[in-house]
Amino acid sequence: MSDDSEIITPPSNLQNKVEKGGPGAVDLDAIARAEKVIANLAGDYVNWAKEDLVKLEAAYKNLKEGNGEQKELLLGVFNVAHDMKGQGGSFDYELMTAVGDKLCRLVEKLDKVGPKEVEKIRIYVDAMQVIIGHKLNGDGGKEGQQLLMGLEVLVQKS
Amino acid sequence: MADYNLSRLNFLIVDDNKHMRALVKSILHALGVKSILEAGDGADAFKELRHFPADVIICDWSMQPLDGLDFVRMVRTGTDSPNPFVPIIMLTGHTEMHRVMEARDSGVHEFLAKPISAKGIYSRIRTIIENPRPFIRAGIYFGPDRRRKENPNYNGPERRKADKGEVEGSVGSISDKLKDDTNKDKGSNKGSDGDDGGDAETPELSQDEINALLNG
Repeated sequence: MSDDSEIITPPSNLQNKVEKGGPGAVDLDAIARAEKVIANLAGDYVNWAKEDLVKLEAAYKNLKEGNGEQKELLLGVFNVAHDMKGQGGSFDYELMTAVGDKLCRLVEKLDKVGPKEVEKIRIYVDAMQVIIGHKLNGDGGKEGQQLLMGLEVLVQKS
Repeated sequence: MADYNLSRLNFLIVDDNKHMRALVKSILHALGVKSILEAGDGADAFKELRHFPADVIICDWSMQPLDGLDFVRMVRTGTDSPNPFVPIIMLTGHTEMHRVMEARDSGVHEFLAKPISAKGIYSRIRTIIENPRPFIRAGIYFGPDRRRKENPNYNGPERRKADKGEVEGSVGSISDKLKDDTNKDKGSNKGSDGDDGGDAETPELSQDEINALLNG
């Protein structure tokens, strides 16, 4: 903090516009309703995720074929995977978040991409396709855990 | 539990992903919010602020061409910013410590890790309501006070020119009492540090860890 720092009181704060309690106030029921809204959107999520998978496949194809600057192509894969990672768990698809996270972590540390790296990315993309294709929500149950374990093995081998 | 009535607050949601905007909007509606405006990127959001009196902005980090951090800096320090004091909640999957600190240093009020939940969103809104913070202008930084918790053991020089007593709504100890259990519901948001090469030096933080970091 420099010597010329200055403390400023904002002209207004939210306390002037909210009341505590009374009709319409947030309560446990409102929280439950909001969580239910999320659950109800989960059906739509599968369709949204399918759209994202189309984008992910396109980004993967561009990377594999080298259609541009590698850094940009990697960013293309990362951005879609990052979106899918963020959305999955929000809609009770924690397994998608886990796999999306693994893909993000792989891509963000790559400086250059060869066939080996492309193959690893492919494995994660395939796993994400399986999660949506089989609607493996939550942690995916037994099938999901097998998928995760299989991923580890495949990625280590490739 | 009877808490706050949010019906008079105006929310601006900034996210380039229409599905996430729909999700956040639905959650806010269910919490009683009536006035919600959406923007698809930082530049659009900045334009909207000229005529929309946002009380809270919920902003994604990863957007193009103007990302969430650029947007926050524009709101805070842009010479033509219509609302430099507006509370901003950064919504993101980037939860490594350096990312959290980067968001804090851009001038965000709160940080909400994806995946999101209704409880997580409300918890961050409640923190902003209950703990109004003074703003600090120091060097190139302009934004909410980053020194959110008083340290009774601090013996160093008090370098801020203004005395704390001049500030309305003292900083006080804040949202540790508001620890939400988002991650207990949703599981840890920690990233992989397994054999696929996850970067063990930059592990991702859970929402509780982020709260502790920002409030410590």
